Amino acid sequence: MKTPIGGEFDAPHDDRHDLGPMQHIDVPMKRFRESEEVDYLIVGVGSAGGVLLQRLARAGFNVVGLEAGPFWNTERDWVSDEAGSQKLYWEDPRITGGSDPLALGANNCGKGVGGGSVHWAAFAPRLHPSDFEIYTHDGVGVDWPISYEQILPYYEQLELEMPVAGPAYYPWGHPHGYAYGPHPTGGVGNALVKGCSAMGIPVSIGGPVAILSGSRGDRPHCIYRGFCIQGCKVGAKASTLVTHVPDALRKGAEIRPESMAARIELGKDGRVTGVHYFDKNRQLHFQRAKAVIVSGYAIETPRLLLNSACPGHENGLANSSGVVGRYLMAQAGNVVLGRFDQLVRMYKAPPAHVLTEEFYETNPKNDFARGFAIQTVAPLPIAFGKQMVAAKKAWGWGLRREMMDYNHWATFGVLGEILPWADNRVTLADQKDVFGLPIAHVSFNLHDNDKELIKTGKEKTMEVMRAAGATEVVQEARYAHLVGACRMGDDPRTSVVDKFGRTHDVPNLFVMDGSVMPTQGSANPGLTIQALAARTADYLISQRDAIFTSNQRDMTEPPLHRELAPPDTWGHGVPRIA
Amino acid sequence: MKNFESHGPMRPRDPATGEQLSPRQTPGYYPGYNTLGQKAYWDKTTRDVVVHRVEHPPELKFFDEQQAIFWETVFDHVIPQTDRLPERRILILPPLDKRLHEGRTEGYRFEDMPHDRDVYNKFGIEAIDAEARTRFGQPFLRITFREQDLVLRAIHDGCPKGGKEIWEQMNVHRFWQLVTKDAIDAYYAHPWAWDEIGFGGPAYPRAYFRLERGEPEPWEVEEQRYEWNAPMDVVSEEVGDASHHHTEAEQQRHKFVRES
Repeated sequence: MKTPIGGEFDAPHDDRHDLGPMQHIDVPMKRFRESEEVDYLIVGVGSAGGVLLQRLARAGFNVVGLEAGPFWNTERDWVSDEAGSQKLYWEDPRITGGSDPLALGANNCGKGVGGGSVHWAAFAPRLHPSDFEIYTHDGVGVDWPISYEQILPYYEQLELEMPVAGPAYYPWGHPHGYAYGPHPTGGVGNALVKGCSAMGIPVSIGGPVAILSGSRGDRPHCIYRGFCIQGCKVGAKASTLVTHVPDALRKGAEIRPESMAARIELGKDGRVTGVHYFDKNRQLHFQRAKAVIVSGYAIETPRLLLNSACPGHENGLANSSGVVGRYLMAQAGNVVLGRFDQLVRMYKAPPAHVLTEEFYETNPKNDFARGFAIQTVAPLPIAFGKQMVAAKKAWGWGLRREMMDYNHWATFGVLGEILPWADNRVTLADQKDVFGLPIAHVSFNLHDNDKELIKTGKEKTMEVMRAAGATEVVQEARYAHLVGACRMGDDPRTSVVDKFGRTHDVPNLFVMDGSVMPTQGSANPGLTIQALAARTADYLISQRDAIFTSNQRDMTEPPLHRELAPPDTWGHGVPRIA
Repeated sequence: MKNFESHGPMRPRDPATGEQLSPRQTPGYYPGYNTLGQKAYWDKTTRDVVVHRVEHPPELKFFDEQQAIFWETVFDHVIPQTDRLPERRILILPPLDKRLHEGRTEGYRFEDMPHDRDVYNKFGIEAIDAEARTRFGQPFLRITFREQDLVLRAIHDGCPKGGKEIWEQMNVHRFWQLVTKDAIDAYYAHPWAWDEIGFGGPAYPRAYFRLERGEPEPWEVEEQRYEWNAPMDVVSEEVGDASHHHTEAEQQRHKFVRES
């Protein structure tokens, strides 16, 4: 049958802002005047910004989110197509260097409402308890100013809000289970299960991944079309665009899309007064605010602080420590590719659905600290072609031939912990962007522990691929994710923000996104970023007006405000097996 | 694509007979498979984007005529297509030209690389021509197809002999990465390439159902392999294995050391 019954599928509605096929924005968006001093101005409506916006709006604050990219109408703007999805990524100019330069753009940087959560693969494991004190345990990196127990309620809460699908028993770190059922496995997942099982390695099947395995509310279940990182038109994959933004708008938040923050303004009293930003016509505006939260992720957040240098803050706003931009981290993301005699067709099913964290913790037998995870990945043809270039140096007829075997290959990703180093940093380049703002220069260098860890992780993953039955196993070296560069800590001399994300130097300026993470473990950072954002929101809410009127720093832990989550996303319980 | 005509058909060969295979509408192991035939089942936005890509390749605005001939010739080596019927060859240059004309990038530039536009209208052409002159005493467009293949292989290998002063301003490995990236971005974005490799293509809102064991959906087809050799006199069929490198920087710097 060449056409569906009733003809080819219809165009999206002209007069409706769709977020998936069923959900749409059902209220007119509030618009604050620039002269009006809003309570919280959030720069960047991504993983963290989306959660903050929703919580603060629901708590009754006047809150505006500035977003550099568009406010997606998913039915009209998104496609099931690799080449057509470039607009989801941060394409503005940046320079990358150091001994081990990082690929940016599509690899790790989103643009538009939802930010990186629009193009993440949605693996949503927690950090392990050990991650919060690797300096104490291993003498490497740094300890967090918070413990696993302090973030735990937020892990449990966000796993329900996204929600995360996964097995009822998850054995690593702090063992727990998932409230939403695991996904069926595709060809790549089967290969990882087979390889791990052959080697006696425990494996988690069908998650944890923030993709709906069954429909919930106005979000449908996954249809296994494989275009997760091109933006989930289905609405099954969690992004803050579909999980938190609709509720934020219903509760009176404003999102100002295509608004590029240029500089944070500091008043004479040492408190910030608002943010200068460019609209899409490159007109400069100033939005006043009682407090500012920067949620621009690990490159744009330090860039904005550095571009906001002013008298008294010559090295960048909130940078008396000199740590803004430093301790940037990416994870080792080596992709191991295995060719199988039988077909795999790895484009079906979400790329993220099977993993093992058996090698996550420090192993005294290794000559390096910390460890790695092994996860399914599943590149679509364009991404796979580039991997064949890197791994096999294929070109010309060799490349055409390898690509004709696309359906025979399965791919696993190493996800390895790279430690925080002061020389891995974001600085400002001489080059300017279209707004005249200095662009970011990113310098990245691997250190000995990182190299040893990558070697071991890569070789173990190749071993698993062979055990799965692959007849040829090759590998592409690369990196995944970005965190750090505005890290949190108790000591203002060695960190940028305190444990709630408040900058040590400016009492009403906060940073809350992946850049506050002091270390990163071998877990994909998305869940942790949203959990930290929800915790900071609870802190801000418990402080009521104190943030606006006082320079006092109250370090009391806030209570969990479950009732401020989007409706129907909580109260179902999380099975705990500990 | 003048080179194909002026240097013989240069088509893949049947390994048993050594005879050249006839050009196909769709090379690859999925005969009759046609993703575009499913377009009525795609959402309209996706359908419009993909159909537009096939039917309306953008006009060249960035490259002048000489540059266009130069890079078309390069891409005839990087993604050769003589196994395709001439009317079924996938255009590499128009989407690249559009990207450069609009000044779009991947969102970053390596610090040892010029801007993409300068690579394509200056440094890249000069570097390839310098290599052609060093090896064969003539600019790239004047040498034979095989000689061109050898020039590009030297750059692919990371071992160019000529153009030292150009390579001081442009990292040879990153240059090759950029050129192959743009070729892949164009070729494997095209639904005819999806047919060739058996990629299912867009599946919203219909979904995929048969997730396991690589089995086809009802509208997909079973694989039917055949043996083929690359055309006589090309050197791009060979693949290597750079898997022993643990880090991206080392893997990029991988060098093939060859006799010639």
